[in-house]
Amino acid sequence: MSVGVRFEGVSVSLGSRPVLKNASFGIPAGERTAFVGPNGGGKTTIVRILLGILRPDRGRVVFFEGEVNEIFRPRIGYLSQRSTLAFDAPLSAVDLVAFSLSPKAGFRRNSDAAAEARAALARAGLPEEAQAVPVGLLSGGQRQRVLLARAIAGSPPLLVLDEADTALDTAGLATLRRLVTEEVAAGRTVVYVTHDSDAMGGADAVFRVDGVVVEEPVDA
Amino acid sequence: MIEFLSYPFFQRALAAGALAALLCGALSFFVVLRRLAFVGSGVAHAAFGGVAVATLFGFPPLAGGLVAALLVAGATARAQGTSVSEDSAVGVFTVAAMALGVVALGFVKTNVDLFGLMFGNILTVAPADLLVLGFATAAVLLALAAFFRPLLLASVDEEGAEVAGVNTGAMRLLVLVLVGVAVVVALKVVGILLVSALLVLPGAAARPLAARWPALLAGSIAVALVSVVGGLLLSVAVDVAPGAAIILVGTVIFVVALVLGRSRRR
Repeated sequence: MSVGVRFEGVSVSLGSRPVLKNASFGIPAGERTAFVGPNGGGKTTIVRILLGILRPDRGRVVFFEGEVNEIFRPRIGYLSQRSTLAFDAPLSAVDLVAFSLSPKAGFRRNSDAAAEARAALARAGLPEEAQAVPVGLLSGGQRQRVLLARAIAGSPPLLVLDEADTALDTAGLATLRRLVTEEVAAGRTVVYVTHDSDAMGGADAVFRVDGVVVEEPVDA
Repeated sequence: MIEFLSYPFFQRALAAGALAALLCGALSFFVVLRRLAFVGSGVAHAAFGGVAVATLFGFPPLAGGLVAALLVAGATARAQGTSVSEDSAVGVFTVAAMALGVVALGFVKTNVDLFGLMFGNILTVAPADLLVLGFATAAVLLALAAFFRPLLLASVDEEGAEVAGVNTGAMRLLVLVLVGVAVVVALKVVGILLVSALLVLPGAAARPLAARWPALLAGSIAVALVSVVGGLLLSVAVDVAPGAAIILVGTVIFVVALVLGRSRRR
């Protein structure tokens, strides 16, 4: 399933400061879309609206499948520069990813989710011996790979990366680029906030965000 | 000491202590993960105000305590995301409830067991108290088991949990409400001043020795059980107040765990 997104006249203020003014644009399904712009311009606000964490003051966000079929907000994979994951979280990498795949009521993780979590962790390049280690005991780079695995686990139709490239080392960045290429090839939509629109190996669409959202031409 | 074990009042005290330990030990896991030690203390003090007001108007004291504890828990949960921080909200509600309790007690004409209220009176647990404690423990444990995954996710990574589809606001409220219930039903065991320690010590003592959640949860419940049963036996052996003995045993376990945890990391 390829999912696209349409922002229709979206405005957001944080306190008394308008962050996004009447933004209307489309994120094409099954492609790479980059949001660039200065700090404080509203890039992360767009991400938070996409994720459903922030509600627009005005306007609406529509998710659609194919060209016209409106759908509810799909499951979204998310990786950010700064995670809110507690440094001493008492969960193994498998637990964290599996619990995130089945976060509704229940006690133990289910075995399908655990198998899917292990597959995602392997794709993200976390060695098998590190998968059962509590995330608090992993190195910074390994933790970032766990969070990357959580983002891609279960093949969410929409993957959102908020300056994720800046928190990764060279090897981690290469893994992220490879995964983004694989996800797009599988028909999934990738949205990323960045200071470098080529960070994920080139974007199909680029929007400059600075209070307003303007589409920029993409080099062929 | 063996002779004490044959007395029905002491058997009831042991049963009540074990139930309170199960209840507080399981909740302590989340109290420590979510860093809610101060909130637990605030809810306990709010219960004092509720008990006093209920006594003044002739209502069951524990019902008053429960209403006050739930009101403060709800108000604290709502404070999240506003300009009032969680600890400020607890600080304000706590002293307001305590002040209300002191004013209400000033008008109470009947004899109120203030000492028992403040420090607990586990040796006077009646069969009906045991029934309430058993029912509350079962209800809290069932709620924790049913919502364990979303509760745990929201406790260690609120934004990640929200993106995964967890209603993190509801989870915050659920933990605070369960803390409110635990505080009120465990009052008889350790009293208002010490009940918050029973919500913090077990998880805090298990934390240095348990890196993963199954060990942390089991360790937290085990520490609570050893503290309560050990404290109760100690109180009989050396003739001191049971509530204080329970907390002192828990504190000793916490210090030992801290030392062991540090030596293991070296």
